[in-house]
Order: sequence, then C-alpha cells, then structure tokens
Amino acid sequence: MSGGNPATPGRRRVPAPGGEVSGGNLAARQAQLVAALVAGGPLPPGFAAAPVEAARRALLRKRAGDVARHWPLLAAGVGDAWPATFAGWAAGRPTNGSLRDGWDLARELRDRGTLPPLGAEELAAREAATRYDGRTAPRPRRLPAVARAGGAVAAQLAGRVRLLRPAPR
Amino acid sequence: MTGPSGVGIGWRPEIAGFVAGLPGLRFVEVVAESVAPAGPLPDGLAELRGRGVTVVPHGVKLSLGGAEPVDPARVAHLAGVAAALDAPLVSEHIAFVRAGGVEAGHLLPLPRSREAVAAVVANVRRTQAELPVPLALEPIAALFDWPDDELDEADFLTEILDATGALLLLDVANVHANACNRGGDPTALLDRLPLDRIAYVHVAGGAEHGGFYHDTHTDPVPAEVLDLVRELCDRRPPPALLLERDGHYPPAAELRGELDALAAASGHPVVT
Amino acid sequence: MTVLAGDTWGIPGPVFLRWYVVAAVVLVAGALVYRWRALAGTPVHDGGPLGPQQVAYLNGGDQLAVWTALGGLRRAGAVGVRPDRRLTTGGPLPAGVTPLDQAIHHAANRGLRSRELGQDEWVRRALDELRDGLVRRGLALDKERRATLRRGALLVGALLALGFVRAFAGMSNSRPVGWLMLTLVPLFIAFLLLNRVPWRTRAATRALRELRREHTWLRPSAAPAYATYGPSDAAMGVALFGTATLWSMDPGFSEQAEIQRQAMGSSGSSGGSCGGGSSCGGGSSCGGGGGCGGGGGCGG
Repeated sequence: MSGGNPATPGRRRVPAPGGEVSGGNLAARQAQLVAALVAGGPLPPGFAAAPVEAARRALLRKRAGDVARHWPLLAAGVGDAWPATFAGWAAGRPTNGSLRDGWDLARELRDRGTLPPLGAEELAAREAATRYDGRTAPRPRRLPAVARAGGAVAAQLAGRVRLLRPAPR
Repeated sequence: MTGPSGVGIGWRPEIAGFVAGLPGLRFVEVVAESVAPAGPLPDGLAELRGRGVTVVPHGVKLSLGGAEPVDPARVAHLAGVAAALDAPLVSEHIAFVRAGGVEAGHLLPLPRSREAVAAVVANVRRTQAELPVPLALEPIAALFDWPDDELDEADFLTEILDATGALLLLDVANVHANACNRGGDPTALLDRLPLDRIAYVHVAGGAEHGGFYHDTHTDPVPAEVLDLVRELCDRRPPPALLLERDGHYPPAAELRGELDALAAASGHPVVT
Repeated sequence: MTVLAGDTWGIPGPVFLRWYVVAAVVLVAGALVYRWRALAGTPVHDGGPLGPQQVAYLNGGDQLAVWTALGGLRRAGAVGVRPDRRLTTGGPLPAGVTPLDQAIHHAANRGLRSRELGQDEWVRRALDELRDGLVRRGLALDKERRATLRRGALLVGALLALGFVRAFAGMSNSRPVGWLMLTLVPLFIAFLLLNRVPWRTRAATRALRELRREHTWLRPSAAPAYATYGPSDAAMGVALFGTATLWSMDPGFSEQAEIQRQAMGSSGSSGGSCGGGSSCGGGSSCGGGGGCGGGGGCGG
C-alpha cells in the first residue's frame, strides 16, 4: 500500500495504479479519484476525507435506486434492507450498468441462498429470456430455454416468458 | 425549431403521461443517452414534437471534463439525437464521469485549474465540431473540492465559456448545493456569472443527509432554491426554466405545484 | 343425365357435388354476412369515453375487470392484504366508485382471497351489470347474440356432416370422392372459424386499439410513476396491459394477495389477455431516463 491508506475491509477491487501524484497529471489524478469513489482505492492526497466519503455513499444510494428501477421485484423482495444490501455488495465494485449490476447481485444472493422469492422469480424469468455470461452485455436468447433460480422455474418460447413454478415461500 | 422558452420539465418515461397532459408546455429535456437516434422516438416524445414542443437532448455520459479526448461515438450519438429531435441546442456537463477505464456512474467535479480548463475546452471544441446545433454547458454540484484549485467558480466557468463560445445551462439547485457544501455566497456567484449566456436554467429538489445537502432530484424543491431562482430573475430573467425530477415521483398535484412555483418566481406563463 | 345404378343414394357424383358446393357457398356467405353485421357494433364516441372497468371487460372479460377494479382500489388505498393472504379494507371508498368497486370493497371487507372475487355473488352481479351496459352500447355481445352466431356455424357443421357421410358412402360404394373431399377441407376450416365467436364487437376492438395507442405511457415496461398518475390511471393500466401493471405498481401487495401473473417478454402491445400463465411483469429492461440526477452528492 503505497499511500499508507489501507483499503477498507469488504472492498474487493484493487485500486487503479497511479501511485503518488501530487499535481500536473490530470488523467492519473482523475483515475485515482474514481478509484477512491467506486473501486475501493485510497483517498488521493490533499482531498478532505469526510466530503469524499459522503460522495461515495451518495453514489451507492443513487446506484441502488437505479438498479431497483431495473430489478423492481428483486428490490421489492429485499424490501427495506435493499439500500444496505445493495451498498454492501456494490462498495468497491465499479458499475457495469444497472441491468448487469442487478443481475450480478441477484446471482450472488442466489449463491448465498438469500435471494427472496420475488427476486428468484425475476432472475429466473430474465435468465430464460436472456443469455448473460457475467462479463459482457446480456443478449436475448433465440432458442427456447428453461431457467431456474432459487426454486423458481421459468420457460421462454419465442421471446415470451412464463413462470412455470413460483419460488417456494 | 425555437430555443427553449418558458417553464419546462425533464421528460422521463415514468411521467410521460403527466408531461403529455400539461396544456401550456413548450419545452422539455430528455436524457440524450436514452434516445436511439436511428430508431423511432419514444412514443411520448414523438407526440410532443408533433405538438411543436421543443425537446432538448441533455447528455450525461460524455465526460467533457475527462483528461482523455471525448469518445467520438458518444459525440456522434449526441449529434444524431439532436438531429432526430430537431433540437435547437444540446446540453452537457462540466464534469467527468469515467477515468482510467472505470465508470464513476455519476458526474464528478474537476479541479478548478488551468490544466482542467484546457482539457474541458479541448473536449468542448471537439464536440462542437461534430454537433449540428449549439452546446450549452452545465456546472455541476459537488460535495468536495480538489486540493489544487487555482480559480474560483465564476472565473473557472467564464474562462471555459469564453474560450468555447458555449452557452450556459445554469442549475440553480447546484448553485445552492455548492454554497451549502463547499461554502461561498450563492448570490455573489450569480453577480459574477455571464447571465447573458444562459440558454436555460435547471431547478431540482434535494435533501439534507449526513450533514450535506444532496441534489437528489427525488425530493421537493426547497424554498431556498426558489429564492435563488427569484434572485436570478431579478438580475436577468432567463428565457426558460426546467424542473428536473428523476425518481420518487410525487402526486401530480405536487409536481404541478412546483411547475407553478417556477412560473410565479420567473414571471413566465403557467404551463399547467 | 341418366341415373346409373351405381350412383350413391341414386344421385350422380357431379350433380351432388355441384349442389353441395352451391349450398356450401350460400351457407358460408350467409353466415359471414350475418356475422359481419352482428359484430359491427356502435362506435365508442357515440356514448362517451369508456371507464377502466369497461375497457377491462372488453379486453379480457370478467377476470380482467375484477383485477382492474382491485388495482384502482389498491392505488386509492382502499384495499389491503393480510398476512394470511386474505384481502382487507384499508380505508373508505373514494368518491365516484362503480358498483364493481363497491362489490370488491365489500368482498375485501369480508376477507375473501383475490382469486375468489370472481365467484362472489355481489361481484358477479356487478359484472353482469357492467356487461349489460356494454351490450347496450353495442360494444359487447350478450349470450343470445353469441348463441345466434353459433347457430350459423352449426348449419355449416350440419352440411359438413352430410358431406362426410356422402364421402364415406361413396367410398364404400367404390365411387370416386376426391373432389368432394377437396370441397370438405375449406368447409371444415370455415366451420372452425365461424365457431369462434368473440365477446366484443369490431367497434370495441377499434376502441381498444385506440386506447392502447393513447396510453402507451401506462405500459408496465415504462415503469410508470403510479404515485403521480392516480387510481383511475392505474386501473386503466391494468385494463389495457393486464396484471403486469399491478405487479409493477405494488409487488408486495401482488405477491401477498396472489395476483395472477402474466406472460412477459415481447408482449405489452398485445394487451393483457389475462389467460392463465404467469411470470414477472415488473418494469422491465430499459428504464431509460434517470442517469442525471439521483441521490448523488454531485448533481447535474
């Protein structure tokens, strides 16, 4: 840790490289600031800690709202814990867009066994309709498909998705 | 194709029905990234265009303040949207949204330095070269300052506008937020900004959270922001004012009330 | 033409075929003309704009009308759901309610489950009233009119049966029946099509198409701001786009009250045929908008 500013526990990504730059190189300093705000990087030198931390938290709140708009049932299923659940997952992870962020979070909750039934149904429906490899933009499936998530089963035929079995409640 | 005039509202699919029902509306703004220039316009927007309502594309992801050159594909998209909407101008922010290949997911402030001015000016000129219409630049709200500011806000903005010939999109809520969080007298800033360059004005709601004022666009417009709108109109009434609301949409009566308050504060006709 | 001893029923094949084709054409044409006239209906603007429940009945019948009323009442805060999944009332009825609203509010007060609403006697009566009003306006068909329309199909069916018997007899008689069989194919298709009797008139179909075009902003995929729009718009959303509207407006209530799910995907434009099936209709993929403001400390 060159900056002597250890990454907060729970943040997963390594901060963008750039080292100690105190002026001049705008590109590197912007990268440092972005890394501090979204990728768990250390606070760049000279910045006031409290306002940057407030901005980091505000950004997570905004992202939580955006993802909830793309994954309404997932967010509704998580309920009041949604902002905290999302922030806990997203801290240190730069966004890949709200659709993919929600998808990745839903898959992680599924693997942890904490995906709520509504979220399981939404995830199963999405996976039946769309192919998503976790790394690139999701693409619509052309062939019929069946998808399972957390006990929910959804099937897709010619672009139309039906929930064959709701998640157990 | 007329410039923005009167009181307008940010068009969002969620409130498209509400916006379509505003009888006096002559001006809306749409997030440029949500429109496909080649495809058909979103239903509600096409209808508004048919009624002769001016639609201004508002970019949020160009990253004009980035140290790297703007992405030509994003500039081409903005130009395409302007053409598809027959817009009289487009707007973007004096901010950066990505760096080192990482998306910030939001608008981030620049250092008020000569180096940053040069970066913004270069990117604005690259963008203007491709745009079919004038560009208006919006100063953002931020919670923190860079440690190496050489200029104050008014000089920073004036230098950029002078060097590029761009118009000013003044966000009164951002002026209020910056004064709350970073200090300074908002009315003194109004006195020093080139108000004659204003294409239109943004007004939005926000809320106090953890000791900071957050420009959320999901809360009601506070009285202080409306006071600042009046201060601005006393100095030089802007041609148009636009209400931004991006979530937690309130009952229609409340939104109409905010639009009426803007009309009352600015002297523009009521649109509801 | 002489009658040959081998002719089935003593009628020569070409003669039978000729008269059979004439009868088929006359019957099908008559049935089509009658049907065309009977299904014309009265243009909507003659009787004032349609309410959400009327639209729902025309779009998806009784069941969709029930969901529509429930959606409006839920948006108005007049109904809720208990932990045991039974409905409950959440507040007084708002002004300007319909008999169906009252019946459902009453049923909710008695703790019915959402899927039992359609069998409730008060609700049934209100639905009959709703349909009768639409029949009077020339938008829906009553039982008698639908039975009459089926009678045309029945006559075609009788002719079809005669043709089959003749063909069978001819075959047992070792006579050629190829042309007759060829005639039976289109007649059978006509029979199937005539048997499908819609429950709304063409005027109603046109009105629905127009309403869907005017209300694209209520499509669940646009994630409409129901808080801004109010109960009657929310109800119209259910009426035009099905229960996906309810799931998008209030997922918690919809889950707890076991609101029917609806197929999702490319649909939406097809409107809410409320036919069984399921899936998550929630405000799907491209929410558009947003981006700029949001909870950020650094607003645009």
